[in-house]
Amino acid sequence: MSDSTQPGRDAAGTLADLGKRVSAARDATLARGETFYQGPSRVHLAAFPPKERWDDWVELSSKAWPKRAERHYMLVPTTCFNCESACGLLAYVDRETGTVRKFEGNPEHPGSRGRNCAKGPATINQVTDPDRILYPMRRSGPRGAGGWERITWDEALDALAGRIRTALAEQRHNEIMVHLGRPGEDGYTERVLASWGVDGHNSHTNVCSSGGRTGFQFWLGIDRPSPDHANAKVIYLISSHLEAGHYFNPHAQRITEARARGAKVIVLDTRLSNTATHADYWLSPQPGSEAAINLAIARHLITTGRYDRDFVRRWWNWAEYMHACHPDRPGTFEEFERVLAGLYDEYTFEFAAAESGIDAATLAEVADVVAGAGTRFSSHSWRSAAAGNLGGWQVSRTLFLISALLGAVATEGGTFPNAWNKFVPRPIHTPPHPAVWQELSWPTEYPLAQNELSFLLPHFLKDGRGKLDTYFIRVYNPVWTNPDGASWIEVLTDETKVGCYVALTPTWNESAYFADYVLPMGLGSERHDTHSYEQYDGQWVGFRQPVLRAARERAGETITDTRQVNPGEVWEENEFWIELSWRIDPDGSLGIRQYHESRAHPGEKLTVDEYYGWMFENSVPGLPERAASEGLTPLEWMRRYGAFEVSRGDGAVHEREVPDEELSDIAVNEFGRVYTAAPAPAGPNIVPVASPGPDEQGRRAVGVSVDGVIRRGFPTPSGRLEFWSATLADWGWPEHALPGYIRSHVHPDNLAEGQVVLLSTFRLPTQIHTRSANSKWLDEIAHTNPVWMHPADAARFGVARTGDLVRVETEIGYFVAKAWITQGIRPGVVACSHHMGRWRLADGPRGSGGAMATVALSHSGDTWQMARKAGVGPYQSEDPDTARIWWSETGVHQNITFPVHPDPISGMHCWHQAVRVRPAEPGDRHGDISVDTAKSRQAYRNWLELARPAGQTTPDGTRRPRWLLRPLRPQADTYLLPVPQESTAS
Amino acid sequence: MTGSEPDRAGGELLRALGAIADSPADARTAGRALGLPEISAAEHTEVFVLNCPPHASVYLGPEGGLGGEGTDRVAGFWRVIGLVPPREPDHLTTLLSLYAALGEAASDAAGDTAAGAAAGPPGLADRLGRAREVLFNEHLWPWLPGYLDAVAELGSPGLAAWAALTTRALVAERAVTKAGPLPLALRAAPEPVSADAPLADLAAALTTPIRSGLIVTRQRLRDGAGAAGTGYRIGERRFALRSMLEQDPGPTLGWLAGQALDWSRRHAERAPGDPAGTWWSERAAHTARMLLAAAERASAAVG
Repeated sequence: MSDSTQPGRDAAGTLADLGKRVSAARDATLARGETFYQGPSRVHLAAFPPKERWDDWVELSSKAWPKRAERHYMLVPTTCFNCESACGLLAYVDRETGTVRKFEGNPEHPGSRGRNCAKGPATINQVTDPDRILYPMRRSGPRGAGGWERITWDEALDALAGRIRTALAEQRHNEIMVHLGRPGEDGYTERVLASWGVDGHNSHTNVCSSGGRTGFQFWLGIDRPSPDHANAKVIYLISSHLEAGHYFNPHAQRITEARARGAKVIVLDTRLSNTATHADYWLSPQPGSEAAINLAIARHLITTGRYDRDFVRRWWNWAEYMHACHPDRPGTFEEFERVLAGLYDEYTFEFAAAESGIDAATLAEVADVVAGAGTRFSSHSWRSAAAGNLGGWQVSRTLFLISALLGAVATEGGTFPNAWNKFVPRPIHTPPHPAVWQELSWPTEYPLAQNELSFLLPHFLKDGRGKLDTYFIRVYNPVWTNPDGASWIEVLTDETKVGCYVALTPTWNESAYFADYVLPMGLGSERHDTHSYEQYDGQWVGFRQPVLRAARERAGETITDTRQVNPGEVWEENEFWIELSWRIDPDGSLGIRQYHESRAHPGEKLTVDEYYGWMFENSVPGLPERAASEGLTPLEWMRRYGAFEVSRGDGAVHEREVPDEELSDIAVNEFGRVYTAAPAPAGPNIVPVASPGPDEQGRRAVGVSVDGVIRRGFPTPSGRLEFWSATLADWGWPEHALPGYIRSHVHPDNLAEGQVVLLSTFRLPTQIHTRSANSKWLDEIAHTNPVWMHPADAARFGVARTGDLVRVETEIGYFVAKAWITQGIRPGVVACSHHMGRWRLADGPRGSGGAMATVALSHSGDTWQMARKAGVGPYQSEDPDTARIWWSETGVHQNITFPVHPDPISGMHCWHQAVRVRPAEPGDRHGDISVDTAKSRQAYRNWLELARPAGQTTPDGTRRPRWLLRPLRPQADTYLLPVPQESTAS
Repeated sequence: MTGSEPDRAGGELLRALGAIADSPADARTAGRALGLPEISAAEHTEVFVLNCPPHASVYLGPEGGLGGEGTDRVAGFWRVIGLVPPREPDHLTTLLSLYAALGEAASDAAGDTAAGAAAGPPGLADRLGRAREVLFNEHLWPWLPGYLDAVAELGSPGLAAWAALTTRALVAERAVTKAGPLPLALRAAPEPVSADAPLADLAAALTTPIRSGLIVTRQRLRDGAGAAGTGYRIGERRFALRSMLEQDPGPTLGWLAGQALDWSRRHAERAPGDPAGTWWSERAAHTARMLLAAAERASAAVG
């Protein structure tokens, strides 16, 4: 072939040869872990320091300008700890001083892709915060009196280990509890508690996301959605909490991509949130009406035939529903469709308009946009509506109804179950399920609760249901975060209810003031964890690490204890729990030590290097090979890059056929659920999913027969998407077994004359719950939480101007805040963001000088008064910036004025409040609070009456359906309800 | 489109050639891999920053600058094929990288056994192949030959070699790419340079390649000032050219007419019969005619 017919060939050789030469050079470069194309690649990537220069990255010092003074950095990856989305950070470790100078994004992280929100770089503020806790301390006077003495870690460990050992020996397992705020890891703490044999895991989830989770769990057997926003045609967000606040970065960047391609964004949010400002359709509904809107859209899809019939036929448990609820009608899909066609007749656009206050024509237009999305419909609901209302869990259940009608489940641009987009590696040791049941967290009144009834703990302790010998809070601030914080103070200061109270925290907070021990824990750059979160159709695992430890090890040093590199005596939890467990069981006789022991060197303590080294070697598919290609061990690779993508494009897991080796002696029930006698293979990914029960012969549920093919299905009892929940029907709630609409406790019909709804479930994307106060940049960005009110309401309340003080009266007290008069909120509704109103006692530690007001807290009988003594202002410290504080406001701690509102099904605290707003009284100061805890008790009792206890509803004598998700699941026999006294007597 | 090892090597070659325009660091790395003479950071800056910005919009856009309609048109192409346009969608590095990626994706979709890939959905390989053709015909071929010609005369041995190699690679691609209609940027090109325009507009039109048919680099303009016997005022090209025209219009217009004639010839000779090359050649010829007439008028006026 001549040159003229074979392109690229000439006398000098072929262009293809030249291309091969470049390919070879590129491959060799990449094999060394270096970057071939070093500049911005321009296609899909921004500019980042090339990874081969991470050992010695040079930047010019801005402070030295105009001189060109070079700064040499070692770049060490870690995982952000300032929300739960686990974005990648790169710590810039100054090679000269050995300190961290700043944090930026980690371009090697598959979830965050080098990008961060403001909270990530603000980690440096937390690290260098002059008010952070650096040493272990024990109180030196009465609880809450403000006296502290520095102690050694040995003293703290020995004291705590002694108490716990004694409690275990005396079978008081349920008197030990660890209460988590920001988890930031995947299961480590649960396994520590399992190793102790205690059911002592408590979480903040029932004041956070339980409502949202519940709606998804009853459909999927998996309690979180994973929307593929980036590939969606229509993005439908019930409130913008997740997208504007909690998971701002990974979601926002993908929504932005979708919008650039023309995707429509629909936001249901009563106030004009950051996300709503970017929406194509901003719907501002009456709070609590969101499920009605969802059902009107669903009805539109059904009645116009714009749903995916084949998907519904194949994947909904319609046959089970017809059998249970329409036994007299033919059990065919066509008959189900006839039933479905009339099932939501009530939910016309006019009905939804009447409930929501949004006109029917707009709702119809939005429904049409949704219908046009097909399988590229991504949706999300997390806090806000699902967390605000009685029955809020139906918001996410009805939301998923739309996805399930469209067939937009685990499709490109659709919504996945999170467990398919998350990777939790199996650890070196897996202790057995505890043999006890913690009634203080999992009371019988709430058999279907999604998570621990954590916010009711003070009331349960006051009820005398139990007591705590040793109570840990861990990166948690229950007094400030929970509703009814004064009741928390009452029990935390009562040593008969809480014997020893330990705060594991990097920073001072309102709860730590009342602790017996305050133990300093590391921030995101000072601790080890693995963490993975659903963000696209793929699975990755991120590694959080003490960056100075990794930097010094990279430089050739040997570090055996993270305290060697952390500031002061700040520790990390992994090493703390291992050490504490050894001291509880020094000779191994309690059976605890074995789970914290080296496998490589039996009899020796497990090190974090061995723990993570084993995990990355044995439980992360592909990582050992990838590491080996660069001449690294898997642990070395993770220390160098910080995150590993295990898979991408996993797609619809439910459609996968079950392999033959898992099918042995199978049984198929009348609805197609397939059970097998073959044991479950021990996969490396232990991501939590529900556990549908076995058949009567003990075979495990393995799949579901769909059109004659055994597919993996969903981890629900039926193996299908549960449009109708037998669990809800069987456990006393048949009226809510289908996706439906429950009128909220703040529905207009339930408001008294003069009351309005207070939304309290939103926050700003720059806030980090308790720890934002220790981030000076974030303090400067936002430091107050005014009460949003519409101009019409302001006039009605007698509030003349933005900035005027108002009293907001709740069921148990009031708070004083400033008004913000804005058109950005629906008339008849007011709103106040959480994450503000931090306070410290006048005689307590400083806490955070940039965001905590000084208050006087007084207590008389059941009445608590908090009076603002001083706001914030400039002060001298080792950080010169504290002398530059220009603001004085800190906002108001509104949560403490809310009574508890446990949803009887999900157990979620229903945050929305019915309040009255009026001008403040003379003498009121911004941030003042008054609360009557006797009224709190009454509110608790009133809501408790809504519950349907397991003792009255259980279909099988258990406390709770075993298939449901539950953190730290105890062993099977603990699920049995206690036998009533008279039965045992007889 | 068939997925073969030569295709992949060809893609890598184009990606590497494109990367050279991206940054001095990439120019060093990729240049070494390609066996090109060393390219210094100063040369890189002289060529890609000061004289020949590697953006399609400069050469195909009606304003002759960065951004605007020229960039929007390329960004639209990215969107049409389902991709998010990057920050500079019309940058040479980006375009060649995308071209390479489309070729590789098409190979994968076709079930390239050499690459061990499974075949993609029916029709995907063809769609990718068509996208690649459009990218080449609409956004690469219409401006790169002339652009590379301009780079080659800037005096950097490494980048002259790069320009020659890139031209070779593009000509090779051209030979295997189905020709399309005259590219939209040329079909929808603004009016050519008019001698009646005020000086400022004339200077702007002459430094807008799609209007004049020629590429007047900063370096070439300095040379022209010397040839025309005018002073070269430091500033952006339009300012400098306007200043030259104000100082001594006759010789300046004469020099510009010579440039236009030269560009007309180069466009025509580069790929005889090629519609795009013919279009450029004719536009430069029109400019030359206009300038010659104007030069004569100017000289007569002085005389």
